[in-house]
Amino acid sequence: MKTAQETNRVLTTMSSSPAALPDMDGWVKFARSAEDAGIESVLLSFSRYEPDTILIACAVGQATKTLKFIVAYRLGLMQPTTFVQQINTLSGLIGGRVALNIVAGSSAAEQRGYGDFLDHDERYARAEEFLTICRNLWNRTGDVDFAGKYCRVEGARLNTPFMAPERTFPEIYVSGHSEQAQQLALTCSSSWLRLIDTPEKLAPSVSCFRERGTEVSLRLGIICRPTHEEAVKAGRAMLPDEEIGKQERAILSGSDSQTLKQALAAADDVGWLSRNLWAGLVPYYGSSAMTLLGSPQELAEIFLEYKRIGVTQFIISGWPKLEEMVIFGRDVLPLIRKAEGATDASDQVRASESFSTSSGVT
Amino acid sequence: MSQPDALKFHWMLPKSGEVAVGARQTAKEAVRFRVESTSSDSPAARPQMDGWLHFATRAEEAGIESVLVALNRCEPDPLIVSCALGRATTRLKFIAAYRSGLMQPATFVQQVNTLSGLIGGRIDVNIVAGSSTTEQHGYGDFLTHDERYARAEEFLAVCNAFWRRDDEVNFHGTHYRVEGGKINTPFLAPDRTRPEIYVSGHSEPSERLAYEQGTCLLRVADTPEKLQAVVARTRARGLRVCLRLGLICKPTRAEALMAAEALLPDNRDETTTQLKDDSQMYREGAATAGSTHHWLSPCLWTGLVPHYGPVWTTLLGSPDEVADAFLAYKKIGVNEFIISGWPEVDEVVTFGREVLPIVREAERRLTADAGNHSCQVAPTT
Repeated sequence: MKTAQETNRVLTTMSSSPAALPDMDGWVKFARSAEDAGIESVLLSFSRYEPDTILIACAVGQATKTLKFIVAYRLGLMQPTTFVQQINTLSGLIGGRVALNIVAGSSAAEQRGYGDFLDHDERYARAEEFLTICRNLWNRTGDVDFAGKYCRVEGARLNTPFMAPERTFPEIYVSGHSEQAQQLALTCSSSWLRLIDTPEKLAPSVSCFRERGTEVSLRLGIICRPTHEEAVKAGRAMLPDEEIGKQERAILSGSDSQTLKQALAAADDVGWLSRNLWAGLVPYYGSSAMTLLGSPQELAEIFLEYKRIGVTQFIISGWPKLEEMVIFGRDVLPLIRKAEGATDASDQVRASESFSTSSGVT
Repeated sequence: MSQPDALKFHWMLPKSGEVAVGARQTAKEAVRFRVESTSSDSPAARPQMDGWLHFATRAEEAGIESVLVALNRCEPDPLIVSCALGRATTRLKFIAAYRSGLMQPATFVQQVNTLSGLIGGRIDVNIVAGSSTTEQHGYGDFLTHDERYARAEEFLAVCNAFWRRDDEVNFHGTHYRVEGGKINTPFLAPDRTRPEIYVSGHSEPSERLAYEQGTCLLRVADTPEKLQAVVARTRARGLRVCLRLGLICKPTRAEALMAAEALLPDNRDETTTQLKDDSQMYREGAATAGSTHHWLSPCLWTGLVPHYGPVWTTLLGSPDEVADAFLAYKKIGVNEFIISGWPEVDEVVTFGREVLPIVREAERRLTADAGNHSCQVAPTT
């Protein structure tokens, strides 16, 4: 079993990291455990340090039955028609269990390594054009013509449709905290995906999205222990060595992502955003390490509080991932489902897990 | 155990839904399925694993090395299909066709490398510059034929730099620009660090592209006499040569001829090649349309070419005749073949049972003869 420190991102980005190598045994074990734990989907993160997300979803999707795959993909890497052809093909091979997390691209240096030289704002403008073409292809109302500033197609047509039991196009999560990201989420997505913050801080923007028909999903880390004190202690034990911290900080500060900048500021300014929401791991593990910690009862109540302000989905990380997910499925999720019990199943909050090649599940 | 320079035989992956598991399909029905596969309601658009797996199992048993998985807007994506089918098989390799202009080379390398790690390295690529302007426009590609080749060359140059695992890939071309490119996932295979790169096409730019960036030139079969020069030229540059052809093998030549005649469309004016408006290969194919003489040689038939295009050039005859024809190509330096049949399953089974053993036996004799011959040569020190 790997410790939290051993799976942190600094190590993942090294070219010798096993995170670069497909690990079917570990992935399938994690994926099947996720199915058992009542997890709806796994988020496959995209970077140049890891294998391609669409192909991972294809391989792991064949070895699972109910789990869905939220495939993160950056734009600027392929033509929209090709992207839709790959996603539609994948949908037909794994019973439609695929959704998309569209990332405009958070690191300028990494984007240039892929051949993409647009700046932050232009990347969002392109994303809107890209997703418009995708949506028109999914609508299947005839050949698609589109001439934008960044994307152009004429007479685009794909015979392979998106194939899922109840959908004709995938759910799309758009992540990012910037004004452009929120605009893109409102116009082109089924859900805005953002980092967790306190319910008070989130309430206004959540209701704004919900009024306009877009769901809100939160990313967070979780540390659940029998008592609050034990959870805090477990969190502190995950703080890494100082040297690793410096390196991680260097990677993070090279990013032009609004999400990261805000998360880092939160970590520096306050550390604790509430009694149960801790930013202490963010400088070391990235923005998705904004962590909820506490006892099962506390955590279940907090999830329900987010539900009350309109949040519908959560994408959760843990360190180590597998153990924390098992605890969540066993101790927290049943409390949430019990409280939701009276209401309709379609009204349940949706729990997903982040899934990464460095999950250490071996 | 085959000889080190043994001919490699690949097969075209049947289209999705083409293989009717547990049902009989006539040769003519197989032709119709393929001809009609571009229609939007064809089952060819929807991935269907059971038919593919049925074929893949027969192909592995027959001694087929790889399947070529096509790319076009009417069918599922070949990289994703190779992944699904590769996970469900153990020996068969996949030659995934892809075009430059559809994705960044770094992304293509990341996908191919990921796939290699998922299916034991059983992936090669066939780079096509794109044969139809209409189809390319739908993919967002508005370059002309010659520009597409120039771009394909840059595309493969960047891919090859990633596969060499240069520290960091930097490239500044007309069509692609990469700065500080790095893909951590390597190409993972037991015996190599990059895939074979098949470059297909009959034009001068395509041949040059193969020389500069490819490892194998892929073209449609012609007579050994006609191919001799290009094969010699290509082999001299250190590349392999692979031929595409259809195959009709029956117990006797007369039966093979009858089977071929039966494939001709009822409507003798039918043609599906107009979409491929920007391909040298298809222009050459169309040039044969007016001709009533449909034989390049006594065993090489072009009767279907005017209707469906040059890749329907078909080798036909008895097992001995067909095996001899393969060996004649070997003699001029051809290394590999990618075969189609009607129906694919029936023909691949016949090939594995009737033809391949003759070819392998002849190759053993050739090697033995060459061995004996070299023993007779006195060492000249």
